[in-house]
Amino acid sequence: MGINVGYFAKESVINFRRNWVMSLGAVITIYLSLLLVGLSIATGIIIDDVVQSVEDKVTIQIFLKDDAATEDVQALQAQLLADELVDTVDYVSKEEALERFKEDMASSPEIIDTLNDNPLPASLDVSLIDPRTVQEMVDRIKLNELFPKVADRPDNPEDSLKYGQQIVDKLFSFTRMVRYVEIAFVAMLALVSLIFINNTIRLAIYARRKEIGIMRLVGASNGFIRTPFLMEGVLQSMLGAVLAILTVLGVQAALIPRLREALPFLPLGLSTGTLVQISAVLIGASLVIGLAGSGFALRRYLKV
Amino acid sequence: MISMRGVEKFYGTDKPALADVTVEIEQGEFVFLVGHSGSGKSTFIKLLLREILPSKGQIVVAGQDMLKLKNWKVPYLRRNIGCVFQDFKLLPNKTSYENVAFALEVIGKSKHVIRTQVPEVLRLVGLEDKINSYPDELSGGEQQRVSIARAFVNRPPLLLADEPTGNLDPATSLGIMSLLNRINKTGTTVLVATHDREMVDSMRKRVIALENGLVIRDQNRGVYGYGD
Ligand SMILES: Nc1ncnc2c1ncn2[C@@H]1O[C@H](COP(=O)(O)OP(=O)(O)OP(=O)(O)O)[C@@H](O)[C@H]1O
Ligand SMILES: [Mg+2]
Repeated sequence: MGINVGYFAKESVINFRRNWVMSLGAVITIYLSLLLVGLSIATGIIIDDVVQSVEDKVTIQIFLKDDAATEDVQALQAQLLADELVDTVDYVSKEEALERFKEDMASSPEIIDTLNDNPLPASLDVSLIDPRTVQEMVDRIKLNELFPKVADRPDNPEDSLKYGQQIVDKLFSFTRMVRYVEIAFVAMLALVSLIFINNTIRLAIYARRKEIGIMRLVGASNGFIRTPFLMEGVLQSMLGAVLAILTVLGVQAALIPRLREALPFLPLGLSTGTLVQISAVLIGASLVIGLAGSGFALRRYLKV
Repeated sequence: MISMRGVEKFYGTDKPALADVTVEIEQGEFVFLVGHSGSGKSTFIKLLLREILPSKGQIVVAGQDMLKLKNWKVPYLRRNIGCVFQDFKLLPNKTSYENVAFALEVIGKSKHVIRTQVPEVLRLVGLEDKINSYPDELSGGEQQRVSIARAFVNRPPLLLADEPTGNLDPATSLGIMSLLNRINKTGTTVLVATHDREMVDSMRKRVIALENGLVIRDQNRGVYGYGD
């Protein structure tokens, strides 16, 4: 087996050099498609993190009138907590609301100074298990018969509720659209790289038809005859994958610190584990492309 | 070693390349296969190599039934059959040594086996001083010796030669034939397809004559034929 590996590797390199234009074309298209896959996974993960952090902040605030009956508030809290869409329900008193406001406004103390008594209402902060159900939950709250009794402005329930449906919707539809465009591009590039590999292997088979004829004659096994071509396809796609991985690593090393600086309030970054996973996905995908492309060519052009 | 029973081969046309051929060749025999161009000699040899399958009939080579042999086992059959052709089929970018070594390399023989067997077989065919020559530095006869060395290096029990002297002058042909004869003396069965009349007549071996795909004569210590 020791001789074989050496033999196969040598043959693959010779083939690569013989058809270097085609081989380079194959490597570049594979590189581009895998790079796109890698970057879309990376941005997908980052966007998911950002969406997650935004989602974490998506709560429905029910503002309460100052003279709402405690038992009504507690009853509403209990009923909401029993709802299957709801994760937690926190009561925020007027004082706590003021504290938070002061914290948020710490950079402009003059605003705080103008407050002589506490104008902020108490609230029930409802956080949801799935943020995409915000609108549904809001509708349910409006139908609750306790809601008008405790709401800050019972005549206008919209004013007593605050929630971030629009942000969530926009983020989701944006990421979905990006995903579709990416999938289309990746599919196209994968097809082109398959065609390139198919072609380089076809040329390699043609260039070595004499050797192949002799190998058949002297009884080389089919696997032995095919392996160098399969290895060549895999070699090309692996090369593309390695370049794509290096580029993804380079891009994230160059871009992430700047993004962080520009958007300090967002959780931007990729863990080492994630990067390893992305690399593994790209290597795996390149194996599949390489084997599929050369396997296809062998079936068509190398009859054994 | 070779057994053909009622073998027919059609290449899609209505005229068969071989029609009802029944032949038995024992181990250790030296046999000439003669006939006009188009009489079916190459078809006969291709059937034995299982490059093609018969349209009808049974063929057994080295104990293997060609019709029952699985595709993936064909390479292992061919390791037991050495093959020599009119056009030598040498790789131009390899030396004599490398051409012969290639045949062992691709069936997974170890470096050690290659290093001992290749020089030995090249000595056997009389090319010990041309080991590092490329095909274009060799005469036709020498190239055919390299190709015989490649066919014989694995010591196959059967050697097939399709017009091995077709491109060579009479003196060189004689040398090639005596080499094949020497290989036959080691116990290897040798089958030579040829239309080299003088050669066949001088060697007095078994002769199987084909015409239009039919065996018209099968003679021990025979000659090429009469008047044709
Ligand atoms: N692949 C093929 N397809 C169609 N017909 C073929 C094929 N190979 C051979 N034939 C036909 O079969 C017949 C026998 O051919 P074959 O090559 O066996 O003859 P041969 O005796 O070897 O001739 P030669 O002495 O010229 O080499 C011929 O009529 C030939 O035209
Ligand atoms: Mg012929």
